[in-house]
Amino acid sequence: MKADPDNVLRMEGMTKAFHSTLAVDHVDFHVRAGEIHALMGENGAGKSTLMKILAGAFHDYGGRIFIQGREIHLHSPIEAKLHGIGMVFQELSLAHPISIMENILVGRLPRHFGIFLDQKALFREAKRCLEQVGLDLDPSIPVSAISQHEAQLVEIAKVLGNLPCILVLDEPTSALSTQEVKRLFDILLQLKRAGLSIIYISHHLHEVFEIADRVTVLRDGKNMGTWNVKDVTPDHVVQKMVGQSIQDFHTEKKKPGNILLSAKDLTRWGFFHRISFQLRKGEILGVAGLSGAGRTELARSICGLDPLDAGSLLLDGEKLDHASCAAKADKGLLYLTEDRKNNGLFLRLPVSQNLLSTLLARGNRALGKGAVQETLKALDVVCSSSEAEAGTLSGGNQQKVLLGKCLLCKPKVLVLDEPSRGVDIQAKYRIHEAILDLAEKGASVLLLSSDLPELSRLSHRILVMRNGHKTCEMEKGGFQEAEILLAMNREAGP
Amino acid sequence: MIGKLFDLLGIYITALVLILLGMLISDEFLTAQNQLSILNAIALLGMTSVGMTFITYSGNMADLSIPSIMAFSGIMAVAFLSLGLIPALLIGLISGMAIGAMNGWVVGRFNANPILWTLAVSFFMEGFMRFTWSNNQVYPDVPGTAGDSFVGLFRLKVGPVPLIVIVMFLLFCAGHVVLTWTRFGAMTRLVGSSRQASWVSGVRVRRIILLNFLLASFCASVAGMFITSMNKLGVFYLGKGYDFKSVTAVVLGGVMLSGGKGNMLGVLGGVLVMGLLSNILTFMGVNTFQQDIVTGSIFITVVGLHQLRLRSQGRDHA
Repeated sequence: MKADPDNVLRMEGMTKAFHSTLAVDHVDFHVRAGEIHALMGENGAGKSTLMKILAGAFHDYGGRIFIQGREIHLHSPIEAKLHGIGMVFQELSLAHPISIMENILVGRLPRHFGIFLDQKALFREAKRCLEQVGLDLDPSIPVSAISQHEAQLVEIAKVLGNLPCILVLDEPTSALSTQEVKRLFDILLQLKRAGLSIIYISHHLHEVFEIADRVTVLRDGKNMGTWNVKDVTPDHVVQKMVGQSIQDFHTEKKKPGNILLSAKDLTRWGFFHRISFQLRKGEILGVAGLSGAGRTELARSICGLDPLDAGSLLLDGEKLDHASCAAKADKGLLYLTEDRKNNGLFLRLPVSQNLLSTLLARGNRALGKGAVQETLKALDVVCSSSEAEAGTLSGGNQQKVLLGKCLLCKPKVLVLDEPSRGVDIQAKYRIHEAILDLAEKGASVLLLSSDLPELSRLSHRILVMRNGHKTCEMEKGGFQEAEILLAMNREAGP
Repeated sequence: MIGKLFDLLGIYITALVLILLGMLISDEFLTAQNQLSILNAIALLGMTSVGMTFITYSGNMADLSIPSIMAFSGIMAVAFLSLGLIPALLIGLISGMAIGAMNGWVVGRFNANPILWTLAVSFFMEGFMRFTWSNNQVYPDVPGTAGDSFVGLFRLKVGPVPLIVIVMFLLFCAGHVVLTWTRFGAMTRLVGSSRQASWVSGVRVRRIILLNFLLASFCASVAGMFITSMNKLGVFYLGKGYDFKSVTAVVLGGVMLSGGKGNMLGVLGGVLVMGLLSNILTFMGVNTFQQDIVTGSIFITVVGLHQLRLRSQGRDHA
């Protein structure tokens, strides 16, 4: 193969199989110098696998990889790094207890005499890296002290420190608020101008159309085509992703019934303060807020995973302030976690056992295979069988299993924390349908989400939080996303 | 499904190979007497391994206090022999299980590292026993007490089969039923697979962990009665080595060290393999110390192979 100045990266005929399924099927993928190249596709389309090959996660892939015209073999993460590939994964790889500077320079810490840490150089170099991503932080504070958004930028700074020629970002905005996304984009454009090639994986069409130069769509492990973003419409891209056009979404909401859950002055010092709300039967109450607003903390305390310092929580008139998570679950108050990998699913257990886990803990063993199959069908979960390990499913399907696990218990109140984060549009559609259906059947739902269209579409009312305080409650009626956004950023009223 | 069956069969195939090997090495190997003596030799290990399975399966890796539970329950039983055999045995069991209850409570409630905590407990218990009994051994065969029948326990036979072998098989059966067919077993699997996820799913994790440690200490206490009876004395160092040998049998039997996967039948296979191996090595004239080297090597090999397999499937992170 002759040198190819135009393409920094050429992947030709990439193939990778897991057991018998082809996750990536003869994919050609080219990235030019100094472009932002979006990689799109539904969950399970093979984006992550393709990028993992590039990251050197597998040693048994098929196909050839060329970087700047030279053929290379990527069999370990270190090789990938040496060839100038920088990966920023969805789950950040920072060590939380140690300082930012050590995180950034890990693997190439500056030293005196080869042994002692050169603290000054460390500080200087880290500061320089942070400036590249527009962060003005003290590099000596630990990562645990900074926000998710800053951690994301620190991760990028860390990767940039290795002077990559290709930067891969996997769903970098899934945990970011709108302004934070904007800030990230500014930095990406700056990096692009400096000549870096960026592969940008996202589910968000508008982001891709805002920032990318070209877009490649994968479906079922195959490349569906690459286009200049200027030349295509979002509809066209969606069409390629799903293979069919999606139905328009509209909801008919029933009038909610009696009060089921009532919270008064809920407080956990330092996280959220004096939050009151009432949740009626069959009602979906959205909770909006920027990251760091205390939403997840509120949800965890309500569900008994974290303590409540003050306030009262009544479910069906029964006081449940200090009940344990298990006791609350027994009463029909369930929590769907935002962190499905660590505390949502049992990744090594079969899908069926995952689905039945919460139910089992409630002492109900009557439901068996039939209920499992029914749930899998109702939620359109794609898996080889109900005995497949949950960890082998794609993200969207894992999220459906997580929801199915709660639904099988027939909850009275279901607290959903980011129920559709990072899933493709069809999975999201299914999840939304299931949530609406649940409310229709008389359960109450507390819906925490960073996805404003999702909130405004599903909720009867929206509670807006900022900095651990409730700023307002928006009543029924068509919510404007802009309106919610403003409220999320507003200071708490009197 | 076939893979699962093969996982279980694998250990029994190994056992079969060892039996064939034994037949090649010595004519005496296949005699009923030798077979019974193998069973006799693994009975105690079998009992502690049943208990250890619960610990490993529930994601707590290993209970290193099993030897001290064995020693303590034995000493306590001997110390109270004047009350009669049955009360003494009960007191022994309860004292051993008290340690298990403490372990389970601390590991469940405070999220203590089970290995470190039980290591500390075993160190504490050794000191405690040496101090309380002034570094002396206690002897059960005091005339006029139930001592004789206590000493006879280990040597008791039902027909041709020693009581301890029967007890071991009973424990395995009970353990199998509990682990695979009960709700408790299913919840233990959840906790073993992911303690975090089971907590968030509303499983009473602390209770499950407490019960698992309690079961382990029960098995260890039963083994403790017999080992004390065998040695005709109660002393702090009885049961030494049973912690590691049990984990080896458990891992050999296909229980995953990270928890949530495995089977009591596999562990029985693991125990059998260890017994057969030790018997064959003895026939070959390999002494106990060298056998320990073999046991350690087996552990390292099995865990290493397992890790390699996970890595080849790209799941070593899980």
